[in-house]
Amino acid sequence: MSLRKLEILQWFGLLGGALVWTAQHVVGYGITEAECGAGGLHWGIQNDVWQGALMASAAAFVVAAELAAITVIVATRRSSYESPPPPGRVRFFAIAAAVANVIFLMIILLDGFAAILNVTCRQG
Amino acid sequence: MTDYVAVPRTAGPRLSNSAGWWGMVILVASEATLFGAFIGTYFYLRFRTTPWPPDGIPKPALVVPLILLACLVATTIPMSFASRAAQAGRLRATRFFITLVLLVEAGYFAYEVHDFADQIQRVDITRNAYSSIYYTLLGADHAHVLIAVLFNLWLLAKLTRGFTTYRLNAVRAITFYVYAVNVLTIVVFGTLLSARA
Amino acid sequence: MAIATPPTPAAAQRMDRLEVMWQSRPGVLGWLTTTDHKRIGLLYFWTTLVLFGAGGVEALLIRTQLAQPNEHVVSPETYDQLFTMHGITMIFFFIIPMTTGAFGNYLIPLMIGARDMAFPRMNALSFWIFLASALFIYTSLFMGSAPNAGWFDYVPLASKEFNPGRNIDFYALGIIFNSISSTLTAGQFIVTIFKSRAPGMSFNRMPLFCFAFLAASFGLLFALPALSADTIFLFLDRNVHTHFFDPSHGGSVLLWQHLFWIFGHPEVYILIVPAFGIATSIIPAFTQRKVVAFPLVAVAELLVVFVGFGVWAHHMYAVGMSTISMVFFAAGTAMVVIPSTIQVFAWCMSFVTGTARFKTPLLFIAGFIFMFVTGGLTGIMFVAIPFDQQVTDTYFIVAHFHYIIFGAAVFPIFGGMYYWFPKVTGKLYYELPGQISFWILFVGTNLLFFPMHIVGLLGMTRRVSTYPDGLGWTAYNLAETIGGFVTLAGILLLLGNLFYSYLRAPAAGPDPWHGPTLEWTTSSPPPDYDYAVIPRVSSAYPNWDPVDREFDRRNLADGVLVLERGHEQPAVTPVDARFDEIVQMPHESPWPPILALALSLVFLMLVIGRYGVAGIMGIFCLLALAGWHSTEPQEQ
Repeated sequence: MSLRKLEILQWFGLLGGALVWTAQHVVGYGITEAECGAGGLHWGIQNDVWQGALMASAAAFVVAAELAAITVIVATRRSSYESPPPPGRVRFFAIAAAVANVIFLMIILLDGFAAILNVTCRQG
Repeated sequence: MTDYVAVPRTAGPRLSNSAGWWGMVILVASEATLFGAFIGTYFYLRFRTTPWPPDGIPKPALVVPLILLACLVATTIPMSFASRAAQAGRLRATRFFITLVLLVEAGYFAYEVHDFADQIQRVDITRNAYSSIYYTLLGADHAHVLIAVLFNLWLLAKLTRGFTTYRLNAVRAITFYVYAVNVLTIVVFGTLLSARA
Repeated sequence: MAIATPPTPAAAQRMDRLEVMWQSRPGVLGWLTTTDHKRIGLLYFWTTLVLFGAGGVEALLIRTQLAQPNEHVVSPETYDQLFTMHGITMIFFFIIPMTTGAFGNYLIPLMIGARDMAFPRMNALSFWIFLASALFIYTSLFMGSAPNAGWFDYVPLASKEFNPGRNIDFYALGIIFNSISSTLTAGQFIVTIFKSRAPGMSFNRMPLFCFAFLAASFGLLFALPALSADTIFLFLDRNVHTHFFDPSHGGSVLLWQHLFWIFGHPEVYILIVPAFGIATSIIPAFTQRKVVAFPLVAVAELLVVFVGFGVWAHHMYAVGMSTISMVFFAAGTAMVVIPSTIQVFAWCMSFVTGTARFKTPLLFIAGFIFMFVTGGLTGIMFVAIPFDQQVTDTYFIVAHFHYIIFGAAVFPIFGGMYYWFPKVTGKLYYELPGQISFWILFVGTNLLFFPMHIVGLLGMTRRVSTYPDGLGWTAYNLAETIGGFVTLAGILLLLGNLFYSYLRAPAAGPDPWHGPTLEWTTSSPPPDYDYAVIPRVSSAYPNWDPVDREFDRRNLADGVLVLERGHEQPAVTPVDARFDEIVQMPHESPWPPILALALSLVFLMLVIGRYGVAGIMGIFCLLALAGWHSTEPQEQ
């Protein structure tokens, strides 16, 4: 695989998961504030639909980022993370991304399922 | 014994952006986050308030702000020409385009100050939470346009004495700032005008 | 370039030339106008030590007041100012400036093989603004109007209606003032780490210390604006009569809390991550092996701050938010533990698989791991919303965060003081008093903070100036106070040992520990120019690469990469550190202290309500900035 392709996959793997979790977390929480607040009640936001869609799309994106990271790790298996750049650096970031994306996926799933399974707008 | 031998100074273009440019990116990131907090506040307050704007406050005007916004955002074009001219070493062209940007920005800012004063006379900032966040957000945006004006003034002053690496870095960095302020103003106006929905 | 072998005559000549080029101006004026990262680091070090003392006095007064029931050592009003100032001082004026300002400034250029930070004058400005902000806030204490609504200063207690004096105006403005310094420092570190690394030090070859400081810098950069927005709103509400936090006019009291904790939670990771960086430097040196799972530890440092941005409302479980809002933060809080755990496992494995020498620095790191894990375990308990709702605002929380802050931030700071003492002073500290100081501190802090768990579960709420007898709290409070004074003894022994060692101890040489990173390749203390030759780097443990160090020695003899034509250092590409260009660095300048002074006047005028004059002072700031930029570095 060409270095350019590896680099693109590496950056996508490293940053994609982080950015999409940020979006799902902020928008997901924002939806709960909007739907339960006086100003947003009449907007008719369907909590479960929105949270479900957000969780599914974010999870899919993170899985894609994870696959990208794993692809890079496999493609650089003859280097080590201590090797000179670019291959060493690319492998290093891909290993980092592979671990990070698992954590992001778990938060996304916890966020989404909890927001759906709890009673909407009940004070806690 | 050989005398001092430096690593050959690269006469060609550098490989990556200068530290000064990165410093400007950092500044913009910090300010963008500040505006993120302001915009988050706007929506947080809006989610708990009905109607929005509250009774007695008119919805924000649409046409004139959008025309002004378009004028400001249009400075992206001459600013990019200024940056390109600087990289090519064309001093007069650089100064011409920066002056153009400066005039539009200054005109925009002057009108907005007048309009801001006008609005605040009719609906004071102390009216309620809506007016508090409205004027704070708008005022902060105008202040950042003023900073762009000041940056460009300084740049013109510096460029009277020609180019140096430092000044070339400055042109690139300030170009980035101008782009950022234009994007910021789009986002801020979009937020404030969403009250019309 | 290890200087165990004497340099050739040509090399010695080059070092002399560099010495002359980079020499600091003598005397007080030299310190006032310095832009040398090492001098700025030392200025931060001494200033933060004094402020640590102030915060400690506040703490001991609190503990004395609470030692017995119904005490009258201080009035309730004074007590409020004491615990507020204790929190503000320890967080904003001790830990952040000590880790970032002192350790970060001194060590980052050395660790990346640079001669200075990317923006040396701005570095000095950070210090002078920090000092000014500390003086600003402490002025309020001497006026008897110190902030008094807790370090998180909730409205409506902090509003004009319930707090009409200047106390909260000092808080709001002081916080904004201080945040300017920290923001500049954060930007400084990010750009320096991106652009000023030695050629060849790609990210996979960068020391973990630098990853930690990069993470903390990004944290500061993105967290501080939320606090600035919050305090701007507070200042406007109090002085201009806006209604951000006023529910009767459409505002929200919770808005303060959200914005505060969007800053406040990342802040606590910013407090401990640099300390992780210190720990992760000490461990390889005293186990003589590379850190286990290097890429995982590096990403964990960045992740803990990044995920930490998504957990803020776990400080707000008891305010009445809906459950579906709170679960987002419970999810994040549960998962944010994982990166910290990865690091702890990696460190423990490094201990077990290396040859551990328990000198004083490593003792402090062992203590840090013990206390961090203890504090972390109580932290995990707060993931459970119902449990948190019972213990929030009790001493259980106070116990948790002091175990984390004292254990995970202060212990590594103390360990780092011992570890780098030989590098900074050129002397080797006395080992036995060092070890004794550790044990006294370990016993003292556990005696001080552990009983707080129990007394919190027994119902003692935080921020009470006294308590009645007969609730079963008395013995625990007394034990805590005794623990506080034992801790004081440990700190005094530690500082006394370092001071005495500075005066009397034997020379340390450049590399007493056979440490892994670049700072151990240069002299102790380092020369003004840090490195005679820009070092060649092919791993994250450059001092353990003899081939590269030999290469440097030859380069120095041949005059390659010595960069002695001016105040020069190389710039590299951000990701792979390929050599890009040579940059002229500015040196001594009067503008940083001048600008800091002008900015102080702005804040002073704002706090006394003279807004017009503040505006004029603002114009002076702009003039100072213009003056600063009137000469370019190559013209100096």
